[in-house]
Amino acid sequence: MKPPSIFRWMMISEWRAHIMQIAVALIAIAIGVAMAFSIHLINSAAFNEFSAASKSLSGQSDLQVRGRKAFLDEALYPLLAKHSSIALANPVLELDVAVPGKQQGRNDHKLKIIGIDPFRAAQISPDLLGVPEEGETLDRIASDTIFLSPAAMEWLQVEQGDALQLQAGLQAITLRVAGGLVRARAGQRIAVMDIGAVQWRFGQIGQLSRIELKLKDGINHAAFKTRLAKELGESYWVMEAADQEARIANMSRAYRINLNMLALVALFTGTFLVFSTQALSVIRRRQQFALLRVLGFTRQQLLRQIIAEGGFLGIMGSVLGLGLGYAVAAVAIRFLGGDLGTNFFPGVKPGIFFDPWDAVIFFAIGLSVTLLGSIAPALEAVRARPALALRSGAEDAVMAKLSSPWFAVICLSLALLFTQLPPIFELPVFGYLAIALLLIGGITLMPRFAAWTFASLLNRLHHERIGAVFTLALARLANAPNQAAIALGGILASFSLMVAMAIMVTSFRVSIDAWLGQVLPADLYVRAAAIGDQGGFQSDAQNAIIALPGFDRVDFFRTQQLTLDINRPDVTLFARPVDKEDPRNTLPLTDDVIAPGSLPEEVMPVWVSEAMVDLYGYRVGEKVVLPIGAVPSEFLVAGVWRDYGRQFGAIQMQLTDYQRLTGDLSVNNVALWLQAGTSSDTVVASLRQLPFGAALEISRSSDMRALSFEIFDRSFAVTYLLEIVAVVIGLLGVAASFSAQILARAKEFGMLRHIGVMRRQILVMLTAEGGLLTALGVVLGFVLGWGISLILVFIVNPQSFHWTMQLHLPWGWLLAIAVIMLISAALTALFFGRKAVSVQVIRAVREDW
Amino acid sequence: MLELRNITKGYAENRKVLINLSYTLNAGEYVAIMGESGVGKSTLLNLIAGLDSPDSGEIRINGAAISSMQDDAATQLRREQFGFIFQAFHVLPHLTLAQNIALPLLLNGIATDCVNQMLEQVGLHGRGHHFPRQLSGGELQRVAIARALIHRPRLVLADEPTGNLDPDTAHEILQLIRREIKANGATGIIVTHSHMAAATADRVLHLTKNGLHPAQPGHNL
Amino acid sequence: MKRNKSGSNFNVFVMLLFSCLLITGVYAESNRLKPVTPDYQLSFPMDYGAHQDFRIEWWYITGWLETEDKKPLGFQVTFFRYATDRNHDNPSRFAAKDLIIAHLALSDPAVGKLMHVERTAREGFDLAYAKPGNTNVRLDDWTLVREEDGRYQVDMQASDFGLQLSLTPTQSMMLQDMDGFSRKGPKPEQASYYYSEPHLSVTGTVLRQNKPVTVKGRAWLDHEWSTAHLDSDADGWDWVGANLDDGSALVAFQIRAKQGGKVWAYAALRDAKGNMTLFDPDQVEFTPIRTWRSPHTEAVYPVAMHIRTGEIEWRLTPLLDDQELDARQSTAAVYWEGAVMLTKDNKPAGRGYLELTGYVKPLTL
Repeated sequence: MKPPSIFRWMMISEWRAHIMQIAVALIAIAIGVAMAFSIHLINSAAFNEFSAASKSLSGQSDLQVRGRKAFLDEALYPLLAKHSSIALANPVLELDVAVPGKQQGRNDHKLKIIGIDPFRAAQISPDLLGVPEEGETLDRIASDTIFLSPAAMEWLQVEQGDALQLQAGLQAITLRVAGGLVRARAGQRIAVMDIGAVQWRFGQIGQLSRIELKLKDGINHAAFKTRLAKELGESYWVMEAADQEARIANMSRAYRINLNMLALVALFTGTFLVFSTQALSVIRRRQQFALLRVLGFTRQQLLRQIIAEGGFLGIMGSVLGLGLGYAVAAVAIRFLGGDLGTNFFPGVKPGIFFDPWDAVIFFAIGLSVTLLGSIAPALEAVRARPALALRSGAEDAVMAKLSSPWFAVICLSLALLFTQLPPIFELPVFGYLAIALLLIGGITLMPRFAAWTFASLLNRLHHERIGAVFTLALARLANAPNQAAIALGGILASFSLMVAMAIMVTSFRVSIDAWLGQVLPADLYVRAAAIGDQGGFQSDAQNAIIALPGFDRVDFFRTQQLTLDINRPDVTLFARPVDKEDPRNTLPLTDDVIAPGSLPEEVMPVWVSEAMVDLYGYRVGEKVVLPIGAVPSEFLVAGVWRDYGRQFGAIQMQLTDYQRLTGDLSVNNVALWLQAGTSSDTVVASLRQLPFGAALEISRSSDMRALSFEIFDRSFAVTYLLEIVAVVIGLLGVAASFSAQILARAKEFGMLRHIGVMRRQILVMLTAEGGLLTALGVVLGFVLGWGISLILVFIVNPQSFHWTMQLHLPWGWLLAIAVIMLISAALTALFFGRKAVSVQVIRAVREDW
Repeated sequence: MLELRNITKGYAENRKVLINLSYTLNAGEYVAIMGESGVGKSTLLNLIAGLDSPDSGEIRINGAAISSMQDDAATQLRREQFGFIFQAFHVLPHLTLAQNIALPLLLNGIATDCVNQMLEQVGLHGRGHHFPRQLSGGELQRVAIARALIHRPRLVLADEPTGNLDPDTAHEILQLIRREIKANGATGIIVTHSHMAAATADRVLHLTKNGLHPAQPGHNL
Repeated sequence: MKRNKSGSNFNVFVMLLFSCLLITGVYAESNRLKPVTPDYQLSFPMDYGAHQDFRIEWWYITGWLETEDKKPLGFQVTFFRYATDRNHDNPSRFAAKDLIIAHLALSDPAVGKLMHVERTAREGFDLAYAKPGNTNVRLDDWTLVREEDGRYQVDMQASDFGLQLSLTPTQSMMLQDMDGFSRKGPKPEQASYYYSEPHLSVTGTVLRQNKPVTVKGRAWLDHEWSTAHLDSDADGWDWVGANLDDGSALVAFQIRAKQGGKVWAYAALRDAKGNMTLFDPDQVEFTPIRTWRSPHTEAVYPVAMHIRTGEIEWRLTPLLDDQELDARQSTAAVYWEGAVMLTKDNKPAGRGYLELTGYVKPLTL
């Protein structure tokens, strides 16, 4: 007997005998790997495409100069163009322009229009040169023409030669589609116009978004960057291409990491299933292993045998998972888009790129997770003394050692400790570790907890009252909890995560609901199609609105983008009338706020969103300098408010302060409160009657709420999907372990049938076992999930997205999934219980034939 | 007590195990059935217990035709009137000894007060809270015997009850089985290869292809 | 040699310009731009400068240089101003009302083919302009300036070649055709304003492979502006301008018809004393002697020409064959623009530049 052949013989016989369990473990690994791999593929495809698309817009410049505000004065352009170290200066004016009738979501209705000087851009971003009709080259520099990417043409349903209506503030402008941008990336929705045309038609005379620079040969980029930054002074940023990449990466990093974490949860659940499969298999084959040891198998050989079996499972599962993951990613990208419907990567259509190294990494993760799940049972099997193991009936004792309470206690304590640690690189690394440890600790405690619960139940309920069947079920759960608990590991992990996510999402949703109530107090919101930095409503338009009858109150808002840190996405500035007596009446403030009475008169207050505190270190009571107005001014941070709309930060200030500093009297938004008894339809009609009425975007606050929730729900759809996958894996695990246990318990059922237990009663017993165990799992899962949700709500969310929320429990929903879990577990038990009442079990009691 | 009338049972066309077997066992009798492997001893036991039904013929227990009963009725009959002792004991590992012994009582809805007394009777006094893994093979079979008799069954079926035991323990167990069957006034059938075991019965029957026949006197010990 | 280093995608204009919008088709007559009329009297120094009321304008300098080691070099420098006739309402400083386009070409027999580079920019921000009043054109760091004393200063540096020349008039200027009203076709509106400055004495440096070389030589300047379009029948044109060794100056061109033959032709010969002889279209005849097939474009150019102006027969021989300006990489314009030697009666008569356009069909992208 050569060991290799023994290996094959043992593994094949084992797998043939327990094909169902092996299949489930295989599926669990495959699904786990597939989920993690596909999320990775989708994320990296979307991210790469998004940054490639962004890069194609900025071309191959060496440096970029931007203003601290969203726009800079064009006077800088000739200065840079004539600079002795600069070979080429390429001025760019980039606007997101509203397209009438395309308002589908937060960013959906915007068309990115890039204004370039084709003569300059030709040398830095040639991809942005439009292709006009033959002989109509001058269309590139005309004031009434626009070039659209194929995706934009498709989206707007126009072709070369068609007229395109766009909204510039309160004006509708008509442009001619002069041609295409053939080198735009797939799905990239962009338009290119002459820079002079954009300045004029969109009211941005004198403004640029950025100036891209190509340096002369032999100029040291880094040194020149520093020098230029110094020459230009405080009001400008000088960036390298790498800075731009970091900025883009920062925009979606939290989203990507969090999604990856969720995907790993599926893998995590898979690990438990592998562990339970291996553990159960080791228990089942205890006598077989003991016999082998007696026959002369060494411990090392046995260890190798078990681990190799796990490794085989891991290899097959991981390979399967890679294929499945690739397919899932391809389908998801095709139908949901690269951001899975969350709008984190607007306007790109990524294609999946298969990187063999990624595949190797995920294969390794799948394999090592499987091996990890095999090691503990293998060590246990090896440690067993063959003489004892040969005897039947002591299987459960084997598992007792695996659930040392110390391990669980250490895990839980570490989890508790980790919740107190700050984020690393602005990511809630410790938060996620705490979740993992909480899960591991909770699951290892499960057998003890099960034993304790069911034993005390058994003691409290007298046998004679509950009858033989329930006594049998309870006694088994109380005295042999380990096998059952192992089976439950997967379900516990997935259920508790589902609970956690449900609580988190509900908390988020309820908080957003309350927040929307605070930020949308008016009845109607009117917006002039936003264009760049200009407020759409000039004074005359504002007065015309105020003059309309039917309003109790009219508030004007001015919003603007500020660049405070070149490595981070822009911060949004809101200038609006804030209630001086109590800012709470205007803003959804947290408790971190200066009492209105104690605000000094001479300072200008700003209220900052929570992200500003996390990202820029703003503290209430501190003075900050912001680039608002001709020269940066000093402001006092007067309070912190919740903002679920902008994770990169937002600042609110008094409109009067803004207007005094900037002299800019235009506004972008109007909030309208209706007089009692005025119908909104009448008011909308009278707004439409205004000379600029057709250009207004009028939204009822109820519609805006509905839209917000639609976006919210769509963002979490993929989360739900991942959770459901995890739960299905968990249920599969229960099914597999039930079927395996029923095989192992054939003699027991045979004996019971002999002594007068009816078929029905055996089924009831099994269902009760499954149901009771799941009930306990649900209860424990709920407790664990609640704990995890606390981490998600109070640690992960604030650390990743910089917003806090209040905890809300979706009782109805939780109850519903608990019931569904119970029913499905009981049904699973019942389904596999059929084997327990077959004729085979009667024969199983006989030792001889 | 037990009537077997013209029992025929086969598993395939050409593999008839029992052919036209008839026998009657009186109440209070304790018989041993011997026979070669494969002659149908287990099949016979399953038929008697109502766990399997004959192709033809009838089996009556105290006049009730168990062979034609529905599964539930047969199970009910088994639960009330049968006791089983197996070669591999089949004591449930996750139940205590007392719980194992009390199982038939619970199934029949009878008070479990007599379990301790039964433990004492089989020589396991004071060990009711122990779990099976703490017991030796002989002790486990004592638990099985207690479980088989606790509900005072009319018929006790023992299938090679000492097959897994050493001769000394086997002897003790055989004596215990006999004593307990007799003490309960039950009818007993012991199926065995062991002449020593068979010798503890009142009568020894040989199962052959031709039916059940009393053993030749020479076969008795 | 790097071609199209500037990467301008607007070379198609160049083609249009050189052939005076050869491309037939509809064009809207602009009411903003002035037509060319025979009654206008050219006045200087005003007319040295840019004429923004006209569609198109160019300052075109060609010449023969000699290095210190007596090696010949040909050069061509052109600055165009082109009124887009668009964006007049646009108040943006970026509004592309005028475009400035510049070409620099160097013919060096040692290299064997033309080195050239072109740039385009919109006028504005003081980065690119063509100023009125006197010749003063800039395109980033490329400049052509006429100083008060009449001297022209040219400064153009590309990545690996360039030149910095000072051109001093040695003769009076030469008003072409009817005192500067130069007809380009049979119709009266088919005309431009056109004067030349022949026999400019050149000194300065030429940069080859980034090595400066001191040069001197003779050059020819054309300044021409117009709003008109060429005849719809026109297919291309052949032009030559030459400084003759005896101090006289020859200019001749023909506009070829699509069906063969010519739409229009013109020639003028001015002797050293300033006596000008004009030739009617039927007195001017271009006859190819030898053709050269461009390996780059497959176009066939009559690089050696026989030109008859009245009774005089001129023979043109190129400094080198490959003086083709191929901008197809970026758009579509290809033409031949080269230094040529003139012989009369088999004797060297002078040196000039020959321009051959319309030999490659406009390429579609």
